[in-house]
Amino acid sequence: MENSTLAKPGTKVVRVGPDGSAWIEGYRCQACGAVVTVATMACRSCTSRTPPAAFRATDHGKLFSWAVVHRSYPGIAVPFVSAIVDLDDGLSLKGTLRNVEANALRSGMPVVVVLDDAGGTHDKHGASYVGFHFVPEGAHA
Amino acid sequence: MTDVFIVGAGMIKFGRYPDRTYFQLGAEAALMALDDAGLGIKDVGAVYASSTFNAASMLGQKILQQIGQTGVPCINVSNACASGASAVREAFTGIKSGLYDIVLVVGAEKNPSGMLGGSPVDGPPPEGLFGSVTMPALFAEAGMVHTNAYGTTLEQFAQVAVKNHHHATMNPKAAYQKETPLDMVLASEMIAYPLTKLMCSANVDGAAALVLVSEKRARELGMARAVRIRGSAMASDVFEPRSPEMLEPNSVTRLAAARAYEMAGVGPEDLDLVELHDCFATAEILHYENLGLCAAGEAGRMISSGETALGGRIPVNVSGGLLSKGHPIGATGVANMIEIVEQLRGEVGARQVSGARIGMTHVLGFGGSSAAGVHIFEKA
Repeated sequence: MENSTLAKPGTKVVRVGPDGSAWIEGYRCQACGAVVTVATMACRSCTSRTPPAAFRATDHGKLFSWAVVHRSYPGIAVPFVSAIVDLDDGLSLKGTLRNVEANALRSGMPVVVVLDDAGGTHDKHGASYVGFHFVPEGAHA
Repeated sequence: MTDVFIVGAGMIKFGRYPDRTYFQLGAEAALMALDDAGLGIKDVGAVYASSTFNAASMLGQKILQQIGQTGVPCINVSNACASGASAVREAFTGIKSGLYDIVLVVGAEKNPSGMLGGSPVDGPPPEGLFGSVTMPALFAEAGMVHTNAYGTTLEQFAQVAVKNHHHATMNPKAAYQKETPLDMVLASEMIAYPLTKLMCSANVDGAAALVLVSEKRARELGMARAVRIRGSAMASDVFEPRSPEMLEPNSVTRLAAARAYEMAGVGPEDLDLVELHDCFATAEILHYENLGLCAAGEAGRMISSGETALGGRIPVNVSGGLLSKGHPIGATGVANMIEIVEQLRGEVGARQVSGARIGMTHVLGFGGSSAAGVHIFEKA
């Protein structure tokens, strides 16, 4: 099926460039260094009126905490690992951690961000969405 | 400024009320509190009504339509799970300021059924794709931080549920009055590790009401059953690097607690009992430390040693807590104050904390950002 529609961000931290390349964006306060996931009018930490500046996030980070989800909303496949990951350049993200056994989860374990097609869903014009998940460093995406 | 006293308290039995509206439940609790105070709705100078899901429907005015439309100021408050404490805080402020002598606070809720949390966004449904935003998952993630730092075990989290369900067997107004031994808690359905179903709060309907008065009115009405509000504090969440991607229940609670202790002029060692926001078993563990009931890393030992059970050093959630008494969200913060008021009056029977003189309540509201309320009470 032909689909010339450009992919769209599937979640708030994903950006898609005009060439279809995708990355995760964060914002860093130039005054205090606080890092957040969304653009704000002032720094929510130090209140500097200079809006935190966008940066392209690294794909390497460490697992901070997690929940192994066994029951979710109706229709959601379980179990899965809901993970909080601290990226090495300061951005913290929530995402699904795949390709890992629950008993192997350790705080501080290295993980990498994998950009993906956000579950294979499309909007009404046929555009796909770009999402992301985590895998343990060294594992296959 | 005048001190503020609670002279009336009333709550309905928590549970499911499919045939009654939330404002009917609220009206019933309001009349119980007024009767308890020996007052009528005509005596009341203002009404603050709390509901997480129905504040926008003018809950308070609908209650007044049931019990008497006196034309007083009526403010509807929604602040997630901190709605009830927020309404009490506003009532406290109104009396402190001298604007009102008698204020009625009513919290009433009919919770939606099913698992709470999250909201749909544009794009693919996020649940499962980008982690989980269910409340059990959020509080599991918060609990695992404690496990990772201090080695807190699944069994220790489960012991919170054992304790609070046991306490509720002595509370006829609790939604559930059933013992849940440790093996039953551990064997119940795993929702989000380390939380099993019995470690999640009971999603039920309920209503609770308080009558707050100035010191002058309290003396006129008689101080024998009056309870003084010594500390009333709220906090909004301060910046935390992982929030709101991750629920951060700790710093906002610590901020509210510090303010309440300062206002009250007491410390954790002065408390005889605490009703805290055990929306999930992991939360109770975190809040032992957030409220200063024990040192950092000591909460697991504290639950295992029985210090927070009835008869222990500092009983916590003797009412049964949100886990077993139930969590009708907008009523919860009022209901946990009622437990403290009735404990300080010595009126709760089998679950009475002997010699209780000073008690604390705590709630944590979360909806992508946070609110915490901490109140400290003393027998007048």
